[in-house]
Amino acid sequence: MKQRLMLITTLLLTGSLLLSACGGNNANTDGNDAAKGNTGTTNTSTAQSTATNAPGAEVVPAGALSEPFTATDLSKLPATAQKRNDTIIVGLTDPSGAFTPYFQQSGYDGNVSSLLYASLVTVDEKGVPTPELAESWDISEDGLTYTFHLRKDLKFSDGSPLTADDVAFTWTIQYDKAYDGGSQLPTLNVKGGKAYKEGTAQSIEGIKVIDPQTISATLEVPNATALVTLGSNVLSKAYYGKDYKFGHLEYIKKLHEHPLGDGPYKLEKFIPGQEVRFVANENYFKGKPKTEHFIYKTTEGDVWQFLETGEVDYASFSATEENIEKLKGLGFVNIIPYTPSTYGYMQVNLKHEQVKDKLVRQAIVYGLDRQSIYVDAAQGAGSVANIPASPISWAYTEEGINPYKYDPEKAKQLLDEAGWKAGANGIREKDGKPLSIHYLGSKSKNTDIFIAVAKENFAAIGIDFQPEVFADFNSLVSKVEGGDYDLVSFSTSMLTDPSEGFMQFFNGEIKDYDNPKFIELYNKALATTDIEQRKVVYKELYQLFNDELPIIFTNYKKTVYAYNGRIGNLTVSPYIGLAGSLPEWTLK
Amino acid sequence: MSTYLTKRLLYMIIILFGASLLIFCLYASTPGDFITGNIKLTAERKAELREIYGLNKPVLERYGLWMKNALHGDFGYSLAQQKPVLQLFNDYIWNSFLLAAVSTFLTWVIAVIIGVVSAYKQYSWFDTLVMVAIFAAMSLPSFFIGLFLIKILAVDLKWLPPGGIITTGSNATGWEYIKEVVRHMALPVIVMTLLGLGSLTRYFRSNMIDVLRQDYIRTARAKGLRERKVLFTHALRNALLPAITLVGFELPALFGGSLIIEKIFNWPGIGQLYMQSFGLRDYPLLMGFTMFIAILTVIGTLLSDLLYRIADPRVRLQ
Repeated sequence: MKQRLMLITTLLLTGSLLLSACGGNNANTDGNDAAKGNTGTTNTSTAQSTATNAPGAEVVPAGALSEPFTATDLSKLPATAQKRNDTIIVGLTDPSGAFTPYFQQSGYDGNVSSLLYASLVTVDEKGVPTPELAESWDISEDGLTYTFHLRKDLKFSDGSPLTADDVAFTWTIQYDKAYDGGSQLPTLNVKGGKAYKEGTAQSIEGIKVIDPQTISATLEVPNATALVTLGSNVLSKAYYGKDYKFGHLEYIKKLHEHPLGDGPYKLEKFIPGQEVRFVANENYFKGKPKTEHFIYKTTEGDVWQFLETGEVDYASFSATEENIEKLKGLGFVNIIPYTPSTYGYMQVNLKHEQVKDKLVRQAIVYGLDRQSIYVDAAQGAGSVANIPASPISWAYTEEGINPYKYDPEKAKQLLDEAGWKAGANGIREKDGKPLSIHYLGSKSKNTDIFIAVAKENFAAIGIDFQPEVFADFNSLVSKVEGGDYDLVSFSTSMLTDPSEGFMQFFNGEIKDYDNPKFIELYNKALATTDIEQRKVVYKELYQLFNDELPIIFTNYKKTVYAYNGRIGNLTVSPYIGLAGSLPEWTLK
Repeated sequence: MSTYLTKRLLYMIIILFGASLLIFCLYASTPGDFITGNIKLTAERKAELREIYGLNKPVLERYGLWMKNALHGDFGYSLAQQKPVLQLFNDYIWNSFLLAAVSTFLTWVIAVIIGVVSAYKQYSWFDTLVMVAIFAAMSLPSFFIGLFLIKILAVDLKWLPPGGIITTGSNATGWEYIKEVVRHMALPVIVMTLLGLGSLTRYFRSNMIDVLRQDYIRTARAKGLRERKVLFTHALRNALLPAITLVGFELPALFGGSLIIEKIFNWPGIGQLYMQSFGLRDYPLLMGFTMFIAILTVIGTLLSDLLYRIADPRVRLQ
């Protein structure tokens, strides 16, 4: 579900990029990314991993940041920030006030609830599951039953006990027929979930409370993502469930602004459109956080001005040379580089004859100068993608992966092979039809760059390129649903489990990629929870996709986090953002 | 007068009904809906959600349902914000109103003063200088002047805060709170006033110039009245008359919020919220807000007609 929220965030970001572009600075867009990571998992050593994992052949422009930068002159810190001794302020685009996990529509609300609620299971900086509220778990031999062992003496922030009953309640309401949130849990097919949803069962058969500290869920099909999906936030049954009747969930809306959680912080005050104020939770299972107060400040506009004046302590920026130079110049911020767990791709309309052919898709990738578009023109704030996984994922590999270096000659050769011969005015033809690509993209600076370069690139290999740009994301998606396109640019939301990198083939629009081997491997990778075994299968899958290109891989983003040099112990996880390390943050 | 009012009110209701239907259909026919944007949902889940939200029903049925609830005072829940639409209005509109009211007031006062003085001293150096300055201010894009002032006054000189409505984390109450808000609204108000000043000043100036050429002004002067009295009692009152029409039009603007200003100055207003809801196709919020503005527009028009009648006895309302 977290991922789903992230998606909306991503879309909003795309949208706000457009708007902020008139301000001549799109830092804010990425600023919002800052907290956005949180809805997944853990802490960074991204600094190193980015450097080592980045595709070897990639040219890193001078000025790009490959390792953390420490503030050079803390005396430059604005007085406003200097004065704060027990409060840390971070910018967040626009939390709406729906702070109940599983019931949020906006990823920003997810950022807020990630501080208010802890999970049973979280993930480390590589995306590997690690214990949180559950001190351990067992998975049955057949991979169907997940048993969680909760820690002793867990408490919600009001001091009431957290037990297996709360977990059972949390899982159950996501199967209610009135549930309209984006959780992925219902897609796990817990045994009896369907019967409950249809109202033919009073409870869900597969959910068993064994004792107050132990709970298990049985699935109908093995699914390796179940551990993290089931092991998400816990809602208090006494608080969220006291008015619950099957088929009626409206009452929860009234509780959105009055959350009761078990995370490191408690909600102190929400001022719509302005601030979300938190205060440390003395009942947090890891102990009270080191900094008493934390504030998410709503920053719809530019975040630079707030960092420069000390009104926020932490912000994220696109890792362009310009931004990095400017941040270094401030003197009072530490900077850490960061690669989000997403990838950019172009969805291919496999119904259309011309792109149905693998050779044409390969020719498109060879013929596109992706290095220029995504790395050079983006001032180093990106890198080229060739598989459906981010370089920071535990499943990422470059073994046997074709980097598709820009090679127009190779592209021409492939097109010849596919039967597209040079025709009149330089456009290739086959059976009298010209090779024309109708491209859809969202309005942004990056799309403008893409179109400018792609137009030339495609002309050089004899493809007629017809771009169409949308300022409104919904309109773009409607057009895609209508099928009137050949290529359309998207970016994934945050990916926690490697299987999510293939999500668009199961959910969403891609229904025409019919390859039994893919389905077989995909299911094989989900059938086991052993990471080493899964790695092997994913490697095979990545190699398959890298060759087949059912979608065209474009780029990874690169961002940097800049934060007040007084803050100690700060790390950012590509999966759970700052939520993982926030309880440890100190103000020197 | 009362028949006139009844007739007008009746028209207003018809207009609002027509407008609501039109607006509803327009929103419903923009490509995509609240569910579309979420490309990670399976087709089945999308259908389920459309069922839950009633988005799979025909447009007219949806309109009927919306209207029925609206007539009962229920404008629905915002899909994206998960809150009642009216509560959202209450959360955001007053912030927009505060900015708009103060800057509109300042704009009018300053525009009247400058308009009168420069009309009176037409073609003087003051007139020329002020007109050039006003043209310059009018032609500046709001985001540019906004960001420029933030850079100078907030980031470099640190005289004023760069955005928001209160200092982050502040617990100020009473006087302290008012002082804080005033400091925060200074920059956006300056920008909004600068941008609005131009057209209004020119309007007052040309009205004033017309009036000053009237026979009754010459008569007043010939009677030996003091120049101040001629200018402010005889001339200004008449010059202001046409401006009453404008007052009515200002009404929706007072509550409508300003997208760009709110965005630049991080002001928690309704303009931003509206823009965002449009991108998400948050129909209840879109409908609620657009109808709210429509109602204000209709009321504003009525108000300016009535005011005109009060201010100018020559006008008959029928």
